[in-house]
Amino acid sequence: MKADIAVVGSGLAALVATRTLQQAGRTPVLIWPGLSSLYFTYATVDVLGYADDTTAQPVEQPEAGVAQFIADHPEHPYAIAGLDALRSGTDVLTEWLREAGFKWQGSLSRNLLLPTAIGTPKPCCLVPDSMAAGDLGRDEPIVFCGFSGYEDFVPELAASNLTRAWGRGDRWVRALRLALPGFEPGRLFTSIDLARSFENDAFRREVASSLRAVLDDSTVRIGMPAVVGLTHDSDVHARFESEIGHPVFEIPTLPPSVLGLRLFDRLRKHIQETGVEMIWAAPAHDAELSDGRCRRIHLKSAGRDQPIEARSYILALEDTVDGAMRAGVHNVVDPFFHQVLAQHALPTERTDESLFKPQPFASIGYRVTNRQQPTASDGTTLAANVFVAGGAIAGYDPVGTKSRGGLAIATGYRAAKEAMAA
Amino acid sequence: MITDEIETYSDTVEEAAPDEACTKCTACNTVCPVARNTEIFRGPKYLGPESERYRDPLEAAVTAGLDLCSGCKLCEVTCPSQVTIQEYIRRAQNKGAQEKGRTLRDWVLGHTRLLSRFGSMTAPLANFGNRNPLVRLVMEKVIGVHRKRPLPRYQWLTFERWFKRKRAPTPTVFRERGKEKRTVAYFSACWVNFNERRLGEMVVHVLERNGVAVTVPKQECCGIPAVVNSNTDLARKYGMENVKSLSALPPDVDIVASSTSCGLMLKHDYDHLLEIPGAAAVGARVYDICEYLWMLHEAGELSEDFEQVQTRVLYHAPCHLKSHGIGYPAMRLLRLIPGVVVEEVDEGCCGISGTYGVKVEKYDLSMKIGSRLFEAVKAAGSDSVLADCETCRMQVEHGAGARSAHPLEIVARAYGYR
Repeated sequence: MKADIAVVGSGLAALVATRTLQQAGRTPVLIWPGLSSLYFTYATVDVLGYADDTTAQPVEQPEAGVAQFIADHPEHPYAIAGLDALRSGTDVLTEWLREAGFKWQGSLSRNLLLPTAIGTPKPCCLVPDSMAAGDLGRDEPIVFCGFSGYEDFVPELAASNLTRAWGRGDRWVRALRLALPGFEPGRLFTSIDLARSFENDAFRREVASSLRAVLDDSTVRIGMPAVVGLTHDSDVHARFESEIGHPVFEIPTLPPSVLGLRLFDRLRKHIQETGVEMIWAAPAHDAELSDGRCRRIHLKSAGRDQPIEARSYILALEDTVDGAMRAGVHNVVDPFFHQVLAQHALPTERTDESLFKPQPFASIGYRVTNRQQPTASDGTTLAANVFVAGGAIAGYDPVGTKSRGGLAIATGYRAAKEAMAA
Repeated sequence: MITDEIETYSDTVEEAAPDEACTKCTACNTVCPVARNTEIFRGPKYLGPESERYRDPLEAAVTAGLDLCSGCKLCEVTCPSQVTIQEYIRRAQNKGAQEKGRTLRDWVLGHTRLLSRFGSMTAPLANFGNRNPLVRLVMEKVIGVHRKRPLPRYQWLTFERWFKRKRAPTPTVFRERGKEKRTVAYFSACWVNFNERRLGEMVVHVLERNGVAVTVPKQECCGIPAVVNSNTDLARKYGMENVKSLSALPPDVDIVASSTSCGLMLKHDYDHLLEIPGAAAVGARVYDICEYLWMLHEAGELSEDFEQVQTRVLYHAPCHLKSHGIGYPAMRLLRLIPGVVVEEVDEGCCGISGTYGVKVEKYDLSMKIGSRLFEAVKAAGSDSVLADCETCRMQVEHGAGARSAHPLEIVARAYGYR
């Protein structure tokens, strides 16, 4: 199949790249390797939460923070993509969210500090309306509300951790649990089941009235696991808030994140309905190269390999899960150019024994030029019309710095601009 | 020592994804249309790879809940690790049926070709019966086919008989393509043969119009109705017949199918699920009809002297089309035709999933799954919806009260076919 520009990926980097191309009047094809990382991550857009892996002091102004970060780390993917790409890419995304009917808050000038499901404050840049009331800069006391039988959110844990971290004393943070109609003890259920139930008016009103009955303080806000509606974003949340009469904020839970699902489902649908073709279920591999350019990449379609012949290509991938790279015992290899991205005597060298320390495997990725083109180990460009975006770029580990979203936006936007010029 | 063990392994990477490749990410459960619409279904993750770890060939199969899987394959489309979730479910279901015996309904719905042949032979009577409330009540009680589900109308003149009688096109309609012209073997499938001959006529017309010679090879049911009704054994039997007949075609003949799910069986499931010898070579030659026409377009061989067709239509992409991994060739093709405005309604599964939504205990669920699509169709204010899959078309007509056709209908019209 022939295409103008082929974008491989399904996460934020791929979506921002595709949207940027579409807005510029190009006709990208989006090749989907399977479900997006947006389903599994926190579902806010984090640009820069911490200046490095060791500091506990959150970044207050993400844009200024990234500028400083680029100055300190000139080899980092953020430095390659550039601050302008972050700014313009964020504009593309926020405008798109608005057009797709989302209500989001936040800007590059200020991070919000929101409590996580275990009650730690987390710096976030762009957030859905339904999470915004969790901002720890606000003054209302917080009541964490969990549900009996739903173990993905433990309100007591969140409350005890936040009490310590927020430093406002015991009375400011409390925990309670509600029994939900129809969710008896012993029933196996997930956040998806709960989210679907919250779309049901009768169910939601019953929850609201039993919650109102146990609240004795009119000034509190409620923190709840993000299950307030499966698909209709802030609609259900806004109704629930008015039914309770208190501000309610959602807290992302363990995967699958309902917030991520809402975001990804809507953006994917919107981009398809505005004319971008998506190829589902066809993992991409094998780039055919000649004269320093990629002529075709191959898709594993049903029955046979399908070549895609495009003017340029954006590989907006992340890791071994989405097919950006494949890990053998000793070597990590990329499936497009068959370059060895990392070599280890033992696979255990890729991991640190402490789960909470930076993991070496997270930084493995494609070496790129200053235009995000993939290079061989000696630095020569492999294909002048291929651009890498997102977590697959080498030297990048979003976990410690909380910068996954911003980096996806910046590299996705830059890749789109380069792909149009190539 | 564990490190010594690791050292002895080679550095190859496994191509096939075993159940251990499942990372428990739950992505499949979030997209499963059944799990999204009922809490009684635990979702593909639990019934597929998770249960698979406990399945033992020597122990009796545990089949509770497996029948709720509609077989749409969106779980496999979604899985970032390419785990063959459906195959685990279908094999376990088949094993359970082998052990416990099959129900009358499983037998009937698995043998749709036999049923259709009978329906076609007795067309007026069968069609009358299928629309008679009393007959339908008896059918519901005896076989478990929901009385409200419209059943397909049978045609007395089958496609295969029509094709045999059709006069051969004069040699001048075939353009020369280098030295040899293209020839396709059309896998018309049961639907076109017994229910919608017109679609087959259009396929032949459009291909011949483009200088492609059409043959209709000997064929059996593709086997998908048997696969989803706990009988992969029967599906394999059908599949072996088809692979035998299609393997015998000259090597330069491409195989074209106009039914999304039948095409997917030929391309993929014969080899992967049913493990039929020789199926991979056949599958590599199979094209969906719109995929094939798009390929002609890209090769500069599609005749594009289309007549203007003033129409605004909606397009619904069938779940199984997504599994083909070819994008939406029908939409690309329709956008070549002057006057056609085509908009995608992306509301996911229509809910019918072949014979799933026909069953008495699944009908309501099937309509609930499709309700988002029905509402979107009604809201879009268009009364025609294009879909490549015949049961999607049945469901959209029933649920949204819209007219529905195969995208080829518009292409044929643009070529002057009436």
